[in-house]
Amino acid sequence: MANTQTALKEAMTSIEGSLGAALVDYSSGMALGTVGGGKDLDLTVAAAGNTDVVRAKARTMEQLGLQDSIEDILITLGSQYHLIRLLKGRDSQGLFLYLALDKNRANLAMARHQLRKIEADLEV
Amino acid sequence: MRLTLRQRTERKWLLTAEPEVLEELRRLRARVTHVTGALAATSDGVVLAHDTATVEPEGVAALTAAALGVAQSLAGATGRGAFRELLVRGENGYVATYAAGSTAVLTVLAGDRTNVGRLHMEARRSGARLADLVGVALSRAEQP
Repeated sequence: MANTQTALKEAMTSIEGSLGAALVDYSSGMALGTVGGGKDLDLTVAAAGNTDVVRAKARTMEQLGLQDSIEDILITLGSQYHLIRLLKGRDSQGLFLYLALDKNRANLAMARHQLRKIEADLEV
Repeated sequence: MRLTLRQRTERKWLLTAEPEVLEELRRLRARVTHVTGALAATSDGVVLAHDTATVEPEGVAALTAAALGVAQSLAGATGRGAFRELLVRGENGYVATYAAGSTAVLTVLAGDRTNVGRLHMEARRSGARLADLVGVALSRAEQP
């Protein structure tokens, strides 16, 4: 089992092309932990903004009457991938992992697979 | 409360900034969902502008000044430096106070579902903008 900071570091080092990672509480929009990022990628701004994304999608699904849950959300930019993975554990409801990737260096399938593994090991 | 002539002049000038201050408060309300009210006040509890429908602004400004006093002492006593912000969460939502320079504050009311991360981001920005507006008004007061 890994704690928040270890899991985020693991995401940064083991996932090729990682630019930044955050664990975010989407009931408040605040990050529980961040790794990487910097001047070009402010992870506290990303945490607050992507909270709105997750909430909007959850609301849309509710309005559509879909009795399902979100596993992950992929946003493809010109030069980056942004991956949002909602945590499913008993103690980690209401949290998501956020990962920004360099599109030229990242392998999307591999990144998703590794993020799933990191989630399974994460203990909040 | 007795005011010196200087304090009275300052207040008069501070109130001239009201339209711009109010515009900033409205902008903040529009930017963050679930924000139900915002007000700007001096650190000693005088309302500069308010955009609040559900609460009485004078009362909130006075309570803000009282809470600010305690928050400043607490921050000082524990070596946290000058006051920046104060967040209170009740069962039905949040009330947050942000420093707007050293003489004014911004108090925001928000619902329980608000995005606190975004509220902090936007309200800190608004606080800085209000500090500028108050600074300009005070510098006008100092001119003969």
